[in-house]
Amino acid sequence: MASMTLGSLVHHHHPSPSSIFTRSSSLIMTLKPIVINSKRTVSSSSYIVSSSVVTREDNRTKPSSSFDFASYMVNKAESVNKALDSAVPLKEPLKIHEAMRYSLLAGAKRIRPLLCIAACELVGGQASVAMPAACAVEMLHTMSLIHDDLPCIDDDDLRRGKPTNHRVFGENVAVLAGDALLPFAFEHLVTATSHEVSPVRIVRAVGELAKAVGVEGVAAGQVADISSEGLDPSDVGLEHLEFIHLHKTAALLEASAVLGGIVGGGSDVEIERLRQFARCIGLLFQVVDDILDVTVTSQELGKTAGKDLVADKLTYPKMMGLEKSREFAEKLSRDARDQLLGFDSDKVAPLLALADYIANRQN
Amino acid sequence: MASSVTLGSCPWVLHHHPSTQSKTPRSRSPSLITLKPITLTPKRTVSSASHTISSSLVTKEDSNLKSTSTTSSFDFMSYILRKADSVNRALDSAVPLREPLKIHEAMRYSLLAGGKRVRPVLCIAACELVGGEESLAMPAACAVEMIHTMSLIHDDLPCMDNDDLRRGKPTNHKVYGEDVAVLAGDALLSFAFEHLASATSSDVSPARVVRAVGELAKAIGTEGLVAGQVVDISSEGLDLNDVGLDHLEFIHLHKTAALLEASAVLGGIVGGGSDEEIERLRKFARCIGLLFQVVDDILDVTKSSQELGKTAGKDLIADKLTYPKLMGLEKSREFAEKLNREARDQLLGFDSDKVAPLLALANYIANRQN
Repeated sequence: MASMTLGSLVHHHHPSPSSIFTRSSSLIMTLKPIVINSKRTVSSSSYIVSSSVVTREDNRTKPSSSFDFASYMVNKAESVNKALDSAVPLKEPLKIHEAMRYSLLAGAKRIRPLLCIAACELVGGQASVAMPAACAVEMLHTMSLIHDDLPCIDDDDLRRGKPTNHRVFGENVAVLAGDALLPFAFEHLVTATSHEVSPVRIVRAVGELAKAVGVEGVAAGQVADISSEGLDPSDVGLEHLEFIHLHKTAALLEASAVLGGIVGGGSDVEIERLRQFARCIGLLFQVVDDILDVTVTSQELGKTAGKDLVADKLTYPKMMGLEKSREFAEKLSRDARDQLLGFDSDKVAPLLALADYIANRQN
Repeated sequence: MASSVTLGSCPWVLHHHPSTQSKTPRSRSPSLITLKPITLTPKRTVSSASHTISSSLVTKEDSNLKSTSTTSSFDFMSYILRKADSVNRALDSAVPLREPLKIHEAMRYSLLAGGKRVRPVLCIAACELVGGEESLAMPAACAVEMIHTMSLIHDDLPCMDNDDLRRGKPTNHKVYGEDVAVLAGDALLSFAFEHLASATSSDVSPARVVRAVGELAKAIGTEGLVAGQVVDISSEGLDLNDVGLDHLEFIHLHKTAALLEASAVLGGIVGGGSDEEIERLRKFARCIGLLFQVVDDILDVTKSSQELGKTAGKDLIADKLTYPKLMGLEKSREFAEKLNREARDQLLGFDSDKVAPLLALANYIANRQN
């Protein structure tokens, strides 16, 4: 059984959380194969979920079971926080910088920056080369959260355990803070990235990043999500739900990994593997999110739980039930790890561990 | 005298007002001839020189025009219409209607609503000034228009300026809802960068593209557009005695001039201009950017909503700082004239054929009626 149960280690110190897999261990042994025909290229093969999953898991994670992911994550998050703090200092006009920093430095897990840095290191680059890109993806992630929380969109009062940006600074400043973080992400990416990285690669990175947050990325996902509220789950297929998640969540994770690969000097093949890896864990992230929303309280989550039910949003548990959602999560986790086959086992360790972390997290 | 480049009463592109070519702004304020010199010392680098406004103004203007004789024969109307046409076609194909439909509809609704395309035209003209082809600048031109559009979409939101009308039509959120309007703006903003980076010709070096991305980003963030917006918001209701012209100028240099500056600079960058040429373009744009806003403030006081195409008199209602409020209508007009001249000074030395569009643009901005 995977030894990677980190949900408790980063922020919330839960007593021995069980992973979503152990909770459903009895079912894993008796289930039929699940085939999900996703039009998007997450994975074209279907997996048979059986009792052998336990042994297979052990074999795969043997090298990474000695990798201290908790420390890795804490270290990287610290570096990222320092970089973000100096990238967006408090200066005139004060209010907007306050608002930007409030959300940006709100103590997040920094998964996207970490993914970016790990991807860069995977292809042989230095972490420092990826730092501006890592900060950029976190700025974009933050701005999408600020806007998502607005009254006219998700109308959230809590985020990362604190009042949402508009609750503190007002709606108008929140809109503008988001509007400022977006271009600043690009400014930072192009001006702070080391000269070792060729302009060609930087242009490529800009394009990838922009794509991830626009109508082929986050914004598209949000819009599709909004227009899905109230839809009868039997009227829409899994593809619809997957569209939302691949865009809303996976797109930026994908960009994080791809950017890391680009600035790290990776080949096209390596970058594409990173893209697929990220797409898998992106979808996985959301499946787990959906599961957690059903099973955990607001306090543990740090944000308003049970909203999905209240908002009548489409979720995996709603569409396929809780157990099948857990199985799908397991499948995605394995698909992700497949993308890393062939890479140096030392360098893949952080990414493998990240995939496990995402699969097993509790908030 | 009569400047032959009097376009204010002929709003081009889509509004087809009857032309009254002989009207010039100067005719509104014949008392200009007797005014004292005005010295304005703005802290921001719009212009470090002050100009004396006197009766000789009229003759000086004439001689300026005569020395750039090609200007008076330059058909700005056709130029603008042609360029705006190209820009509209480029925008239409850059942001096609496709899935998800709603957001693309919302983006297109505002993007293709018939704006004057001043920023894209400036970008293209700047590119041509330094010897580049229009096609090199088109992605950048589209990018600045996308950003301009998204800033309008967000500005109009209920939590911001709360406007119902824009460019003569209902505002984006009134048609598509606030949520889609916010997201459409976000999408346009990011797409501007995507388009600039991926659609710019490979004839433009990657290093220049990177430079352009940086300039564009800077112009719209906390050192540009957003900064202006934020300070503007926090200025509502302020006692006019408590704030100086510097404050107002800050707002305008950031809210309006920054993006115009980026438009010109981007054109200069992708067109292959030298650093010096690019800096001149920057200053030119800064002048006309401020000019644009001074004129906007003047128009808000003097025109009706119908003529303007947007809700007029809002500045008075919102108790916003404006030039007429701070210095009076007449002095505002004089300041506009000063800025126009400073803008033109930046173009001295360039090929007179290639400066013609920019000179005419400056005059257009100075003399526009909406």
